[in-house]
Amino acid sequence: MAQYVVRRVVYGMVTVLAVSIITFWLVQNTGADALDRLRGNPRIQPEQIREMSEYFGLDRPPVEQYFTWAKNFVQVWNYPDAWGQSFTGSGPVQERVFDKVLGTLRLMVTALLLALLIGIPLGIFQAIKQYSFLDQTATTASFITFSTPIFVVGIGLQILLALYLERWTGVKFFYTSGMNSVNYSQFSFWAKVGDSVQHLFLPAMSIALISIAAYSRYQRATMLEVLHSDYMRTAKAKGLPRRTVVLKHGLRNALIPIVTLVSLDIAGLLGGAVITESIFGWPGMGRLYIEAIGLNDWPIIMALVVVISFMVVVMNLLADLAYGWLDPRVRYE
Amino acid sequence: MSDERKGVDATDYAALDAAEGMAVEPVTQWRLFWTRFTHHRLAMWSALGLAIIVGAAVFADLLPLRDPIQQFSDATGRANNLLNPGGQFPFGTDRLGRDVLSRVVYGGRTSLAVGFLTGLMVATFGTIVGSVAGYYGRWIDTALMRFTDIVLSLPLLPIAIVSAAFLRENFRGKEWLTLSVLLGFLLWGSLARIVRAEFLSLREKEFVEAARAAGARDRRIIFRHILPNALSPIIVTTTLTIGTAIILEAALSFLGFGVRPPTPAWGEMASTGGREAVGGAGAWWLVLFPSMALISTVLAVNFLGDGLRDALDPTQSIDRK
Repeated sequence: MAQYVVRRVVYGMVTVLAVSIITFWLVQNTGADALDRLRGNPRIQPEQIREMSEYFGLDRPPVEQYFTWAKNFVQVWNYPDAWGQSFTGSGPVQERVFDKVLGTLRLMVTALLLALLIGIPLGIFQAIKQYSFLDQTATTASFITFSTPIFVVGIGLQILLALYLERWTGVKFFYTSGMNSVNYSQFSFWAKVGDSVQHLFLPAMSIALISIAAYSRYQRATMLEVLHSDYMRTAKAKGLPRRTVVLKHGLRNALIPIVTLVSLDIAGLLGGAVITESIFGWPGMGRLYIEAIGLNDWPIIMALVVVISFMVVVMNLLADLAYGWLDPRVRYE
Repeated sequence: MSDERKGVDATDYAALDAAEGMAVEPVTQWRLFWTRFTHHRLAMWSALGLAIIVGAAVFADLLPLRDPIQQFSDATGRANNLLNPGGQFPFGTDRLGRDVLSRVVYGGRTSLAVGFLTGLMVATFGTIVGSVAGYYGRWIDTALMRFTDIVLSLPLLPIAIVSAAFLRENFRGKEWLTLSVLLGFLLWGSLARIVRAEFLSLREKEFVEAARAAGARDRRIIFRHILPNALSPIIVTTTLTIGTAIILEAALSFLGFGVRPPTPAWGEMASTGGREAVGGAGAWWLVLFPSMALISTVLAVNFLGDGLRDALDPTQSIDRK
């Protein structure tokens, strides 16, 4: 067990390291650096550019730059200066990134909860009522969802549930952009909650939809497998009521594999967040990432890539450990 | 789905009946596959739909379509921008007065080219890595599979975005090619794992032992004996990967890292169209048509993959009871 964890941690570190090296090489070779925009500005003297270039260490060889970056990057505790300054003068990188982590997490956690709370009951219901109308409809719907890009879902929800719903009913149900209204700070507590939900629902739902499809398919399959297993026949033969059989004997065992599915889905949820954030103007890591790539602000790009890979690695490890804890048959080698 | 499959039962096959009744015509594996595949209604419809989409994209020049890049204006010289669908422009026009119908048709070129090319790359890489790892085993297997694990645990979209930005800057004008190479490099992992698992079990089979005893070399055993038996999961996984690649290409182009404007691409059309539709103009057709094209293409590819799985290897069907 301890050996397994150590090995997984080592692989995780190798992954994050590989990602950081690849990304560093890529951003170093992507056209002009961020200072080029300043070079085009006639009011900035070449002297100043050279000073800034020295300040950011851009005049050094790339390998040295990478090691300097890495050495500073691991000293996370030196908040907020550890990760250096943004090239575009928007402040310390660490502050900007940490600021956006919470935004993305809020979106992802809501999406995950929605997916679990809708997908799993749907899958169980489909398995219990196999080949019913609802089962067939949900199956078709999930196949279509699998083939639908997340941005189509996002824009579709914006048009239907925000734009047209408001036009037809005259009531504003959902917002299409941002995390809170402008005068959010003056709201009462419940108004704040309501406002947050109105902003959060559509982007979270756009991310969740494909996971709902995946979870319900998977839950349906596992539940069917469990329902046809020997111990279920035994439970039925003992004369237990159907309710007890399905819920106590069936459901408990059918829920375990969903942990694996969630762990495989984490990277997908993050990727979904990147796209959804730029559609809904959500202040999160994904939108910052796209912005930073547009400006070639590599301290921010690097920080985000490493934070995202780190999150994926950690969450995958946690999910795998949880799986072993839930299912004693699993052994770690 | 199950309805279609319920109809697919061994007794249904005309070919089998004929062979049983008269015992004249030999039933080959290919023939069996073909009967099973043509009996899969959904897969047949998908194949037809996909053929139409691919045909329209390939022969777009021969179709009576307008130039997808030209900005149209009426007789008085006023731009035909944001015209509703219907009449002269069946799918309407966009903000710049370009014909949405012809942009949708031409936009398919990028998506389909990237999809199929990525599929080809994935099939090649995945098969090579998987078969080498599975056949030779030991340290080669460990090394290759650790590498595969790392590729599979990369955060796909963030890496794809930063790489696409790099490729876009350094290889101007060849975005469809660079995107295919990029997606090929990112997506081969799961196929490699599947092929490896096939090789691990197949290399222990008697027919492989027999081939080895007869003095066949590794290369012959891999290509002539094991690979043909592992072909069905390779074909199915590759088909499904094409769907994933089309979606990813559209996502990258949506975020602005795909082909350069004014070349049409479905993702980019949905992106600018989305801004028009939500931002007050209400131009829903700018989103609807490229999105429908995208969804139907991916849906057709996925159903085709499903049908191929059922036809190539009926025991592997997911819905089996």
